[in-house]
Amino acid sequence: MSQSFEVDYAKIYWTIKTGIPILGDLQITDTIIVSWIVMAIITGLCIYLTRDLKIENISKRQAFAEMLVETGNNFVRNNTGGNKFDKLIPFVSALFATSVVSNLISLVGLRSPTADLSTEAAWAIVVFIMITATKIRTNGFLGYLKGFTTPIAVMTPFNILSELATPVSMACRHFGNILSGVVIDGLIYWALGLASAALFGLLPGALGQVLSKIPILGIGLPAVTGVYFDWFSGVMQAFIFCMLTVMYIANAAEEG
Amino acid sequence: MNMALLAMTADTAQTQDLVTLVPWTFIIQIINLFIQVFLIKKFLFGPINEILEKRKNLADRVIKEAREAQDEADSLKTQYEESLTNAHAEAARIVSDAQKEAQNKADMLVNEAYEEVSSIKAKATADIEQEKKKAVNEAKNEISSLAMEIAGKVVEKEINEADHKKLIDDFIKKVGA
Repeated sequence: MSQSFEVDYAKIYWTIKTGIPILGDLQITDTIIVSWIVMAIITGLCIYLTRDLKIENISKRQAFAEMLVETGNNFVRNNTGGNKFDKLIPFVSALFATSVVSNLISLVGLRSPTADLSTEAAWAIVVFIMITATKIRTNGFLGYLKGFTTPIAVMTPFNILSELATPVSMACRHFGNILSGVVIDGLIYWALGLASAALFGLLPGALGQVLSKIPILGIGLPAVTGVYFDWFSGVMQAFIFCMLTVMYIANAAEEG
Repeated sequence: MNMALLAMTADTAQTQDLVTLVPWTFIIQIINLFIQVFLIKKFLFGPINEILEKRKNLADRVIKEAREAQDEADSLKTQYEESLTNAHAEAARIVSDAQKEAQNKADMLVNEAYEEVSSIKAKATADIEQEKKKAVNEAKNEISSLAMEIAGKVVEKEINEADHKKLIDDFIKKVGA
């Protein structure tokens, strides 16, 4: 067991030199590979759940799939107040599913793609573009620009700042929570490893040497702390991200 | 500062920074998100919404059919009730007709009986009257012949019987009057 603490960094497996300025080299990291695994899990689950659909006398599997769809429908419809944003349902559901599975995949030892700011930034930018597009569609381009000068022209810089703060805060909130979970999990494992090394190092002879190499205290306690740091915060952040997405877009359509 | 410390301890050749924005990862994640949206739409929302729609249509159809059956039953019920009412009225009419007819018949019989009785009575009265007349006439004849015989015996002379008879009849008339 190493004495110094190391955070679980995203490993870079391959670097493909592209030579494109600004974008830099294409790096195949943990983030990207685990993202693909997450997508495969979600899609596989969808295919499994929707197999052999029936109109009557449905299976538990189908009931669960219908429940998921109804939950997605109701989530978007209740928060936007109507069927106007039904096109958003698959997007929000995909966002939520990807977020939850990404957050929780750390439980099986993989590195969460959401512990990489690039992931959340990508999502937040997509949401930001959708919000802006909705605003422009609702008020027209001039109306959108005019919206920045409300209530008075002096407020324009602050309005622009608050507009830009939306995606930044969304991305950083999600990222910070998941990263803190990763760091805290790492700290707990590290501390428990040190503790068990110290404790079993007290045993005499070869037995103590062997046992002190195994972080025995690491069994159990991380599962308890993981309930909050992984499960609760993982699901919560996914929910908050989707809630904000729906609320911002619904608000954008109401302005003017 | 802590971050810098953490970054220093990491193997920089093999890992990326803890807080960093990698443009390609960023782009790939955007693409991934849209692929995921497409997949979740195709494999979850598409089929499930289709099934939900089908079930809704089925339920609507069943409800519609039930409503139609209900309407039909209601109309049949109304029809039956109407015909039942008609039947009741018909029965009442038949009974009252029969009663009336019976009454008429009874009245007729009674009248006929009355008539017959009165005719019998009238006939009897007429008979009695006739008998009485007949008896009186016979008595008159008897008396006149008796008077002639007595008168003959008294005068001992046979006068014109016709004159006598007239004489006697006048006498009887005077007497009888």
